[in-house]
Amino acid sequence: MGYVRGLRCRECGAEYPPVWLSVCDACFGPLEVTYEIAAVREAFNRKALDGRSKDLWRYRELLPIFDDGSRVDLQPGYTPLRKADNLAKALDLKDVWVKDDTVNPTYSFKDRPVAVAVAKAREWNLSAVGCVSTGNLAAATAAAAAKAHLPCYVFVPAHLESTKLLLPRVYGATVVPVDGTYDDANRVALLAADKRGWGFVNINLRPYYAEGSKTLLFETWEQLGFELPDVTIVPMGSGLLLTSIDKAIRELRELGEVKDASTRIVGSQPEGCSPIVQGFSSKDGRPRPVKKPNTIAESLAIGDPASGYDAIQIMKRTRGFADAPTDAEILEGQKLLARTEGVFAEPAGGTTVATLKRARQDGRIDRDERVVLLITGNGLKAPGVWNGSFPPLTPVAPDPAAVDRFLGGASIG
Amino acid sequence: MVKLVLASPIAVATKGDREIDLDFEGTLAQLFDAVAQRYGKQFRDRIYDGNGSLKRFVNVYVNGEDARYLQGLETRVARDATVDLLPAIAGG
Repeated sequence: MGYVRGLRCRECGAEYPPVWLSVCDACFGPLEVTYEIAAVREAFNRKALDGRSKDLWRYRELLPIFDDGSRVDLQPGYTPLRKADNLAKALDLKDVWVKDDTVNPTYSFKDRPVAVAVAKAREWNLSAVGCVSTGNLAAATAAAAAKAHLPCYVFVPAHLESTKLLLPRVYGATVVPVDGTYDDANRVALLAADKRGWGFVNINLRPYYAEGSKTLLFETWEQLGFELPDVTIVPMGSGLLLTSIDKAIRELRELGEVKDASTRIVGSQPEGCSPIVQGFSSKDGRPRPVKKPNTIAESLAIGDPASGYDAIQIMKRTRGFADAPTDAEILEGQKLLARTEGVFAEPAGGTTVATLKRARQDGRIDRDERVVLLITGNGLKAPGVWNGSFPPLTPVAPDPAAVDRFLGGASIG
Repeated sequence: MVKLVLASPIAVATKGDREIDLDFEGTLAQLFDAVAQRYGKQFRDRIYDGNGSLKRFVNVYVNGEDARYLQGLETRVARDATVDLLPAIAGG
């Protein structure tokens, strides 16, 4: 069983062996994987990491795979951590970094959790895999399933961006376009997976799936010279990425790899679907479900976020905060990132940039803090958000005079 | 007939039955009382917390509509309704 100890309920603390279990058997709360930390400490250290493969499996002691042969080798992870000096200057900050997951195999961070979940599906000889998705996960699951020779079924809201509907089909998956919201798709996907015994990565493989996302933080720590940032800004759909980032920090701390350092964890959602942000400022700290999300940030449009309560607790515990920029601010954020750092993010990335800008302006983030932005998806997947943003291009005649007219004169130098 | 559909983690309390047909009309709370009569107290313990509210990680849908957006446990269940009882897992 490698370094895995078992599963533990985040809600009631009940413990289970590391079997195929999606939720706590007692209270239905979310489960998380626990490790034999003393054994991990023997094998997982800075020296050991040196020379390992440059993908997420370099952190294998903290990933719940028992059979290395079950891995699907699309090599996700170990993406660039870019020093974003231009963006920092534009926002009057000193030290900003961009964790660029636009360059993963299917152009989003979802390749990380899927790598772990599909490996588990292979370990357990499941007959098919699938997911419910706002787009990015559909492509990631479909690609990994293709490589693993597994049938794949992805449930999505039918109104998704056309690119996000296209990609899983190119990879050979069956797309189930549900006429409704993400939460409608989730309900019928859960029943379909349950009835057929398929492994749906973010439903019944969820405790294992979540582990893959920790590698975003492990890499950030390593790429910052084994240091944690002061602040990290995380886009939130279900809140699961944020809880995984926190778990990764907790594990590094348990291993003794980070001692006094603390990172403020900040969550960002679009104003048009911000159940976790609304919950953050509510008295009871519970998410406020949104029945009909309305935002350009489709990948974050989850109205009833399963990990929302945990995410709120973590943001409070780490002295972070929750923020919800408007769609206009998100689009501006995407543009600012592209024009200062050359990174084209999808709206989820624009959301984190917009939160950084807002928080710098109102003082929630200090000028001297080292900030890492998680840029979790590629802008090419959501071209539709730019409709109407730029005037149409009128063709220029292929002669120098016409080019001069177009450029506004013939001056040189 | 009302059709009650349970996900397998909840169906532990209904002897593994995941689709239950009931000749019923009334509120959701009354529907669950009727199910508890058939399967025993373990069903109530499975879905309710100590205060008599649904557990936080249990979601109920009446004809596909989340009961939280309707009248909660007081939501009317028509004679031909479909009710889904699922653990709360969404997104990621």
